[in-house]
Amino acid sequence: MITVLPMPAPFAPTVFIVDDDEAVRKAVSRLLRSAGFAVAVFGSAGEFLAQYDPATPGCLVLDITMPEVDGLQLQATLSQKDSMLPIIFLTGHGDVSKSVQAMKRGAFDFLSKPVKDKDLLTAVRAAIERDAIARRKQAQLSAIRDRLDLLTTREREVLEHVVSGKLNKQIAGDLGITEATVKMHRAHVMEKMGVQSVAELARLTERYGVKLA
Amino acid sequence: MSWITIVWSINVGACLTLATMYLAVWCRERESFVYLLFSCIAASAALIAAYEMQLIRADTPEEYGAILRWRPLTTWVLVLSLVAFTRLYLHAGRSWMAFGACGLQTLTVIVNFAFTPNLYYEEITAVRHVAWGGETASIPLGSSNPWSLLNQATLLVLLAFFVDATITVWRRGDRERALIVGGTTSFFGAIVAGQFALVILGIIQVPFFASFAFLGIVVALGYQLCNDAVRAADLASELQVGEERFRRVVEAAPSAMIMVNHEGQITLANLQAEKTFGYSREELLGSPIEMLVPERLRSGYRDFRHDYLSHPRASPIGAERRELFGRRKDGSDVPVEIGLSPIHTSNGPLVLASIVDITQRKLAELEAARQRHDLAHIARVSTVGELSGSLAHELTHPITAILSNAQAAQRFLAHDAVDLDEIRDILNDIVNQDQRAGEVIHRLRHLLKKGEPQAQCDDVDLNEVIRDVVKLMRSDLVNRNVTVDTDLAQNLPAVTGDRVQLQQVLLNLMVNGCDAMANHHSSERRLLIASQSENGAVRVSVADCGGGIPEKKMEQVFERFFTTKKEGMGLGLSVCRTIIDAHRGKIWATNNAGCGATFHFSMPVVGVEKRQ
Repeated sequence: MITVLPMPAPFAPTVFIVDDDEAVRKAVSRLLRSAGFAVAVFGSAGEFLAQYDPATPGCLVLDITMPEVDGLQLQATLSQKDSMLPIIFLTGHGDVSKSVQAMKRGAFDFLSKPVKDKDLLTAVRAAIERDAIARRKQAQLSAIRDRLDLLTTREREVLEHVVSGKLNKQIAGDLGITEATVKMHRAHVMEKMGVQSVAELARLTERYGVKLA
Repeated sequence: MSWITIVWSINVGACLTLATMYLAVWCRERESFVYLLFSCIAASAALIAAYEMQLIRADTPEEYGAILRWRPLTTWVLVLSLVAFTRLYLHAGRSWMAFGACGLQTLTVIVNFAFTPNLYYEEITAVRHVAWGGETASIPLGSSNPWSLLNQATLLVLLAFFVDATITVWRRGDRERALIVGGTTSFFGAIVAGQFALVILGIIQVPFFASFAFLGIVVALGYQLCNDAVRAADLASELQVGEERFRRVVEAAPSAMIMVNHEGQITLANLQAEKTFGYSREELLGSPIEMLVPERLRSGYRDFRHDYLSHPRASPIGAERRELFGRRKDGSDVPVEIGLSPIHTSNGPLVLASIVDITQRKLAELEAARQRHDLAHIARVSTVGELSGSLAHELTHPITAILSNAQAAQRFLAHDAVDLDEIRDILNDIVNQDQRAGEVIHRLRHLLKKGEPQAQCDDVDLNEVIRDVVKLMRSDLVNRNVTVDTDLAQNLPAVTGDRVQLQQVLLNLMVNGCDAMANHHSSERRLLIASQSENGAVRVSVADCGGGIPEKKMEQVFERFFTTKKEGMGLGLSVCRTIIDAHRGKIWATNNAGCGATFHFSMPVVGVEKRQ
């Protein structure tokens, strides 16, 4: 039987820090290490993009104002690459307009410099948590998709009718097949989707928003 | 009474009168030896006339010979005086002739006393009484002495000397003197020589009357000397008028005027000099000029005065850039400007100094400098205000680093196993970042500080100014996406100036450059700041890649209230120019060949300025 529970993460969560100011990134990385986080620091957006592996979970602590490619541009680049990495922006004074822009683009949080340890750690923990959930959700979603892909066309039609709460007899009538055939397809669906009951099947498809054709 | 006695007596009297008169004149003007010489000439001429009178009356050959024996000595005095007179008065006559005549005459005197009765006759056998103009006159009879030719030779050389001197003076253009002095001496000299020779040789039978020729010479010379005296008196009165006029002009001059002799004593001072220095004229006159020089500058001043007197030249006011000070009676300094004009006199060089009290002007300059300083400060504060966001940001970095480091340390210390190396690193970083923040604040405070206008002139390395301002603007440049390149000359000579104001100029030029590129793509936003040393000056240029400046607005951009920016006050560049002008530098703009404009400013190098 195939389990749908989250698979163990292939990597430990890492906090990525991108800041052009060496002293700041060194200090922030120390603070995060002191709280037990794995940390990776980068001096520029380019450096980060060159080394970043999207498979690594964690979050990004990003300075909004940097020479050449700034924080906003890096955010845009990441979103183009469908990265889900939550971004915590570190902003200085006078970066209000940039902050608003970043927020609109789905930044996870904003912290203004100088940042208090509690604020930063709380934000980082929350971001890692969200990343983990997102990754888990992503994993489950793809598992359900994989299973749905195993279904035949007829079995998918049966599934749609089952989760919409119709009886075997009605389904047979709708699809123009015998009730025994419906029962057989239904058993196959339950088996392929790895569920015991119709209720479980309905919850699975509904909770993860699987749109049926 | 016989006419001979009358005429000869008149002759003697006239000559003696003139001799006495000019002796008296000489006694008053001892340095004018011409008068003494003339007196000698006239006196000896009188003596000769007296001898002649006696000769006419002589009865025996012994008496005749004895009188004639003294004649050469008198002639010696006459000849020497005449030669000396000619040389001194006419500045003419060849010296070999002069020495020749004097030498021969001296020889004549010596030879004369070697013979008896005298040089002229070997023997006087008898005295013949002849009728002469209705009177009886004595004429000697006897053989003439061949040595008397010496006397003739002397007279000839003397005559040649006179003629030569006359020609020289005539050629020189002084025809009056040539005629009256040279001409008469030559003419009457010729008569004397001729008559003497003829009488002695016994060719004509008349008594000696050469004294009248001498009288002619004496009268002519006396007339000329008198003429000179009258002219000198005219000149003196003219001079007096001139000097009076000079004194009045000096007195009325609006600046203090002081005349100093070669010993450094004040010989003239005007009313304004009294007012400027607070001394009365009595105190000033005769006092050493050093009295008016501040004590601390006196030794240098003495050297200057000696140098000046050995190479006197007119130096106009303000020709020398250095500041000059005088000293008032109360000991206080008075800032002055001095113009010097040397005056050459026979008593040595005099120097007329025109001294202008520039206290008021200095005050006005100070006031102008203060206003300029205030304006520069206002403009600077406004520029810094525009940058305040970025400047705050510049502080944010070190403060962030400090806080995070400190809190990290707190957490590390809470761990069971404390990594002391880590803690040490953290503390080091905290110290460094604190210093960094301190520097930012220091730079900022320096820029915002008003300070004193005069107190801040020191040697400034413009490269250092560039580096400081680039650091100050770092955050702003990052915000504006502007890349700055620098091309700084090595071993750049220092300039003199107000460091903060020069920073302000550069800051303004950089902000302007950034503003000019605001609408360009960020990859094109580049500033190039260069420094170089050229012809005794240091030039700094700030080149942007903006839109450049329309050619006809090249000068206008430096005018006050000229601006192309919406929020601009139009003060930035005008203040830059004010500052650079006050530093005796230049500021100008050029358009680049490729894109944008370049602003340059250049300032004289420290040493060069001092030499100017």
